[in-house]
Amino acid sequence: MVIFGASGDLTERKIVPALYYLSRERLLPPGFSVIGCGRTPFTDDQFRAKMQEAVAEHLQLPAEEKAAFASGFGKGIFYLTGDFSQAAPYEQMKALLDRLDHERGTCGNRLFYLATPPSFFPVTIRQLGAAGLARPKDPSCNWTRIVIEKPFGRDLTSARDLDQTVTEVFNENQVYRIDHYLGKETVQNLLVLRFANGVFEPIWNRRYIDHVQISVAEDLGVENRGSYYEEAGLLRDMIQNHVMQLLSLVAMEPPATFLATAVRDEKAKVLRAIRAIPVERVPEFAVRAQYAEGFARGLKVPAYRAEPKVARDSVTETYAAFKFYIDNWRWADVPFYLRSGKRLAKRASEISIQFRRVPHLLFRDTPSEQIDPNLLAIHIQPDEGISLRFSAKAPGPTMQIRPVVMDFRYGESFGASPPTAYETLLLDCMLGDATLFNREDAVELSWELMDPILTRWKEDGAKGLAFYEAGTWGPAEADKFIKADGRRWQRL
Amino acid sequence: MAETLEPVTLGEPRPADVAAIERDLSALWKSMAAGNSQREAVTRACALTLLVYVESEEASQKVSGLIGGIIAQNPCRVVVMVVQPDAAEPSLTARISAHCHLPKAGEKQVCCEQIELLARGDAVRDLDNVVVPLTVPGLPVVLWWRAGSFTPPDYFRGIFRVTDHLVVDSARFPDPARDLGKLAAELKRLSAVVPVSDLNWTRMTPWRGLIAQCFDPAETIEYLEQLTEVRVEYEEESPRWSAQSAQALLLIGWLASRLGWEPDRADEPLTAKGSPVLFKSRRGGVSVERAPRKFEGGGTGVCFSIVLTAGGGLPAVFSLRRGAGGKYAVVRRELTGRPPVEGTARLEVYDEVELVNEGIKSAGRDAIFEEALEMVARITTG
Repeated sequence: MVIFGASGDLTERKIVPALYYLSRERLLPPGFSVIGCGRTPFTDDQFRAKMQEAVAEHLQLPAEEKAAFASGFGKGIFYLTGDFSQAAPYEQMKALLDRLDHERGTCGNRLFYLATPPSFFPVTIRQLGAAGLARPKDPSCNWTRIVIEKPFGRDLTSARDLDQTVTEVFNENQVYRIDHYLGKETVQNLLVLRFANGVFEPIWNRRYIDHVQISVAEDLGVENRGSYYEEAGLLRDMIQNHVMQLLSLVAMEPPATFLATAVRDEKAKVLRAIRAIPVERVPEFAVRAQYAEGFARGLKVPAYRAEPKVARDSVTETYAAFKFYIDNWRWADVPFYLRSGKRLAKRASEISIQFRRVPHLLFRDTPSEQIDPNLLAIHIQPDEGISLRFSAKAPGPTMQIRPVVMDFRYGESFGASPPTAYETLLLDCMLGDATLFNREDAVELSWELMDPILTRWKEDGAKGLAFYEAGTWGPAEADKFIKADGRRWQRL
Repeated sequence: MAETLEPVTLGEPRPADVAAIERDLSALWKSMAAGNSQREAVTRACALTLLVYVESEEASQKVSGLIGGIIAQNPCRVVVMVVQPDAAEPSLTARISAHCHLPKAGEKQVCCEQIELLARGDAVRDLDNVVVPLTVPGLPVVLWWRAGSFTPPDYFRGIFRVTDHLVVDSARFPDPARDLGKLAAELKRLSAVVPVSDLNWTRMTPWRGLIAQCFDPAETIEYLEQLTEVRVEYEEESPRWSAQSAQALLLIGWLASRLGWEPDRADEPLTAKGSPVLFKSRRGGVSVERAPRKFEGGGTGVCFSIVLTAGGGLPAVFSLRRGAGGKYAVVRRELTGRPPVEGTARLEVYDEVELVNEGIKSAGRDAIFEEALEMVARITTG
C-alpha cells in the first residue's frame, strides 16, 4: 500500500492505526507492506518510529505490544521522500515495489492511497499513469487500486474534471472514493435494519413516515484547519458527501443483491430523484450560519472569525440546514431535514425517522398532540446503536401515557467495540468490495444538488448568513425554519 | 418502595465539558458493572431527564437525599443545577454519581445517574450550553424549580426550549401574593408550550376534594350559587406561613375561577396580608377574606381552616378545620332549620418526594390550576 501525503495527520491518526488493527486481527497477509510518500524527509526507521508512536497513542497499546509492532508490522513500513508532482520519485517507487514483491511476497498487488490535499490529486494520478503504475502487472493474478479521500471536487465542474483525470488513468472499478462515514458500523447496520428485518420495510414509506432528520453535529471548531475551511465551508466538508450518502442509504429502494453495483445503483437512483432547489428558492429550503464566541467543551471558545487563518469578515458557513424532497412513489411529500455544524452542543450524528401520529386517540383526557410520535433513531456516533421510542402506560391506577425508549447499543449488546470506519473500508478495498465507496455518478449527482445552493450563497455574501453561539444547537433561524413546517429538531 | 443505596460518586468536581461528562458516565457504569460481578446485573434505567434548579450547595445536598425516592418511581437522569450568579469567581464544574436501588433476590439492580453542575459568577450564562446536550434524547425533560420565587433569568431560555414540563413549589415563595402573580405572568409566556405543576397545589388536593364534597349532596349543591362570604385562615409567624399563605390564595383562585366569580374592580388589589377582596357572582357579591392567625401550642391545634357562608333565604355555613397534627380535617355543615353535622375526614399528607413523583406523572397541562393561578394574579395585581 502506497500512501501519498504520509507525513500528514490522516496517515498517523487513521490509516496506519487501522492497518495495524487489521494486521493484529490477522486480516492482512504477513508480507503486507506500507510505503509512505511525502516531501518531508524521513528515513525508513524514522518513519517507522513515528508510526509506532502514532499507533501506540491512538490504539493505546501496552508497552509489550509496542515492541511487537516494531518487530512485526513495523518492519513492513518504508518511506520515500520526494516531490511527487515530478516523475523521478515514481521510478524509485517502482523499484521499491518490485523489491518488496520479491522480498516480502506482496505478489504485485498495489493499493495507492491519496491522503494529500486535493490540489495534488490530478498530478499524482497522472504521474502514476505515466510511470505505468496504474495498471496491474498481470491482471489475471494481481490488482491495482486507488483510494481517493474527499473532497471529490469543490463543485460539479471540478468534480467532473477530477473524474475525467481519474478515468483517463484508471478504470472506474479500480477507483475507491472513500467517505469514512460509510464505514461506520451503524451505517452498514442501517442496511441490515431495513433489509434483514421484516417489520421495518413495510412501513418505510410516505404512508407511515412523517419526516426524516439527518444530523451530523460536531463540538469542535475548525481548530488549525482555518485556511482549508475558508475554502470549503460546511456544505462541501460535510453535506455534499457524508450527509448525502446517509440520505441515500435511508431512502434507497431495496437492491437486488448486496453486491456493490446493485447497492450503488440504488443509491444513485435516490440522488437522481431528489428535487433540486432552484437558485432563486434557496432561502426557502436552506439555512446557513456561522458560530460566534461561546462556551463549548468546558471552555470559552472564540468565534469562527477569530480562529487562526480565518478572515475577520468571513462569510463561510459552519452550520447548514436543508429540506429536501424525494420525488418518487416511496417518498413523495416526505421532507428530509438535514443539518450539520461545527461547535454545536455536542458531537453526535443521528438519523431520526419520525413516524406519523396516531390518527385518533381513544384514551380519555389525553390529546393526541401530547403523545410523542414513534421515533426510530439510528445513532451513528459517538455511541453507535439504534433506539425506538414508543408510548407506554405509566404504572398506576390512572391512564398516564409516557414515551419510553427501547435501546440497542453496539458496545453493550456485543461487548466488543465495533471496528473503526477506516478498518472496515481499507479491508473492503483490499478485498475488492466497493459497496461502501462512492461511485462517480453519485458524486456528480450530489454536486448537482449542491451547486445551486453554493451559487446562491456566493451571490448573497453576508446577506442571509445567521450566527449562533458556539456550544449551542445552532441558530434560531434553523429552529424557525423547521418550526414553519410544524416540526422541530430532535434533541441529540 | 424499593430501598435505595448510598450514591456512588465518581471523583471530584471538574470543568463541565459535555463530552467528558458523557465519558465519565460511561466509565461509571462500566466500573459499577465490573464491581458488581458477584451480584445481579446493574441495569441503567431512564424514562426522562429531571433538571433540578437550586441556589445553594446545601439545597443540592438536600435534593441528593430525595433523589433515591424519586428514581424509585421515575427512573431518570438527574441534572442538578446549583446556580450562584453572585459568586465573584466564575466557574462551571460538574460531578457525577449513580443512585441504585437495593435489588430483591433474583432481580436486576436498577441504577440512575446524577450530574451536579455548579455554576458560579458569570459562568451561569454558559449553563444551558452544558445542560441542554445532557438531556436524554427522545425522552421528556422535567424541570423542577426548587428555589424561591419563579423568576427564571434570561440565560435559562435555552433550557426552557427543551423543557416539556415545569414543576414549581409555591410553598417556597417568600412573598406568595407577589410571587404567584409573577408565576402567572411567566406561565402566560411558557404555558403555550410547557405545562406546569405546583407542588403546593397538589398539597391542597385533599382540601379541594373535601370542599367539593360539601356540595356533592343534592340538598347542598344549590348553596354553591349562593355563597356570600369565604374566610380562609392560616398560620402567622410560623415556618408554614409562606406555604399556607400561597395555599390560601390558590384556594381562593380555585373557588373564584370554578364558580365564575369576577373580581370587583371597585376593590383594592389583594396585596396586604388579610385584606379582603370582593367578587361578583351570578347572584350578587362575595366577600373573601384571608385571615392570618397566630396559633398557640406549636404544631398542634387548628392551623388551617376554611369557612364558606351561603346567604339567600336559608343561610348555611360550611367549615373545614385542620385537626391536630394535620392528619385529618373536621368538616362541619350548618344548614338553617337542621341540626349541625360534623365529621372528620382523613387528610393525605404528602412528603416532597411523593409530590415530585406526582408532579412528574401528571405531565399534561392542568387547566384548573392555570385558571386558579390566573385568578390569583388578577386579585393580587389588580
